[in-house]
Amino acid sequence: RPHSRPRHAGVHTMLPLLLLLLPAAHGIDQLGYRPALTTEPPLGGVTTGSTFVVDQPRCVFNDYGNAVIWLVVALDQAASSFNNTQRPGTSETAFQRFPDPVRAYMTLNATLGSYPCPKPEGEIAVLRVGSETSCTEDVTRPSCNGPLPVPGPYRVKFLALEGSVPVAETAWSVPIMLRTAKPFSSTSTAGSGHSADMIAITTILSILFAILLAGLVAMLFFWGSDSCGGSSTFSKPESVTVRRYNTHHVYDQPAARL
Amino acid sequence: MAKSDDCIHILQGLLVFGNVVIGMCGIALTAECIYFVSNPHGVYPLLKATDNGDINAAAWIGIFVGLALFALSILGIIGVIKASRTLLLVYIILMLITFAFEMASCITAATHRDSLTPDLFLKQMLDRYQKSEPANNSDSEVTKAWDELMLQNHCCGVTGPSDWQEYQSAFRLTHSDADYPWPRTCCVLDTQGLPVSLDGCKLGVPGYYNSNGCYDAISGPVNTHAWGVAWFGFAILCWIFCVLLGTMFYWSGIEY
Repeated sequence: RPHSRPRHAGVHTMLPLLLLLLPAAHGIDQLGYRPALTTEPPLGGVTTGSTFVVDQPRCVFNDYGNAVIWLVVALDQAASSFNNTQRPGTSETAFQRFPDPVRAYMTLNATLGSYPCPKPEGEIAVLRVGSETSCTEDVTRPSCNGPLPVPGPYRVKFLALEGSVPVAETAWSVPIMLRTAKPFSSTSTAGSGHSADMIAITTILSILFAILLAGLVAMLFFWGSDSCGGSSTFSKPESVTVRRYNTHHVYDQPAARL
Repeated sequence: MAKSDDCIHILQGLLVFGNVVIGMCGIALTAECIYFVSNPHGVYPLLKATDNGDINAAAWIGIFVGLALFALSILGIIGVIKASRTLLLVYIILMLITFAFEMASCITAATHRDSLTPDLFLKQMLDRYQKSEPANNSDSEVTKAWDELMLQNHCCGVTGPSDWQEYQSAFRLTHSDADYPWPRTCCVLDTQGLPVSLDGCKLGVPGYYNSNGCYDAISGPVNTHAWGVAWFGFAILCWIFCVLLGTMFYWSGIEY
């Protein structure tokens, strides 16, 4: 380590130097990347009742090959008060104690090798927060990626740790709200407005039926009156044939009466 | 009188023609209704479960009405040619009864078609699909019908998989949201009946799950069914109306 000795430098020059050295002494780089819900490709389950999906941080932590990258999931109000020196795998950041008393937990740890850069074309590089259902009650696994118990809102960020020393972090995401299922209340199931078709059919058919009934009544009432094309009724086909009488009978009958 | 003779013959000809058409339409109506009754496209269990089996009842009535129309048309033809008052009176009265039945069938089909809204199916699906303790046999019938519907038509839910996310359901009570955002039958399945990619299905990656709703698959056949029974019946009834009026006119002109 080079030995540096201030040489008659005043406080005014030293202060900015010291201020510059402060973040470097803490060692956490603020990366400009902001985690966000996956938009490409559009996913049907990007947010569900207890899970959400964020993009993997590809090509973000390139300079930290030795670090383990953790995802910090926090309640919106607890995001600003999260202390980066909190260590994962302890009860202060255990998923099983979230959201009360733990207000932010750490999960989904991975090395840089899990996030190769650049992302190959066509690959879907996402992280599904809340997909592990087997360890929700298992306190021996505090970094469980369990389903989220409340609808939120949540904020997430990635934190790179070398050993147990934080070296880099991303910005916090915008608040993420999960979906809530509401009870189904139909506005109207039965007895909704009848369509015009149905009303037309009913009306027209009723009118036709009424006319037919009236016709039947009229027909039976005026039995035998009126006819087709004139006042004369037409006769049955049998009576049209004219019988040919034997002329003998014609002469005989008047004689018989007498 | 040549004039009234012509008039008679024209009227007789028209009535015979009308009855022939009625006979053919009766056969067609019977055939159409038999088709609907025997080939409900698998939606009949769903309809029965929603107490909407009346469209089927309308089709059954249609079968018998069709046969009755055919028989009555033959009676009508005989009555017109023989100009027999009794035959035609019997014909008119029986035809009016058939008219009333067919009218009931048409109106039933049309009314119940209107009541088959997406909400109705959504409520049934959310309440009864995969209900853990099926109250009666119809609950498991509903589950089977929905599974078959979703498998055959590659669809999910009524309006889409988001139905399972937006509303509380009996399915959600037994299946956790993280493992089952929607039922497994919504996933694209391979030949063995397993999801091609379970993670892809749970994430909702296009191509690994069915993102369209089943309402179109239900309403299409039901619409055809209902309108086939209702509108075809309506057309036949209008024709019968004209023929009956002519027959009444003819009857009143027959010599007593």
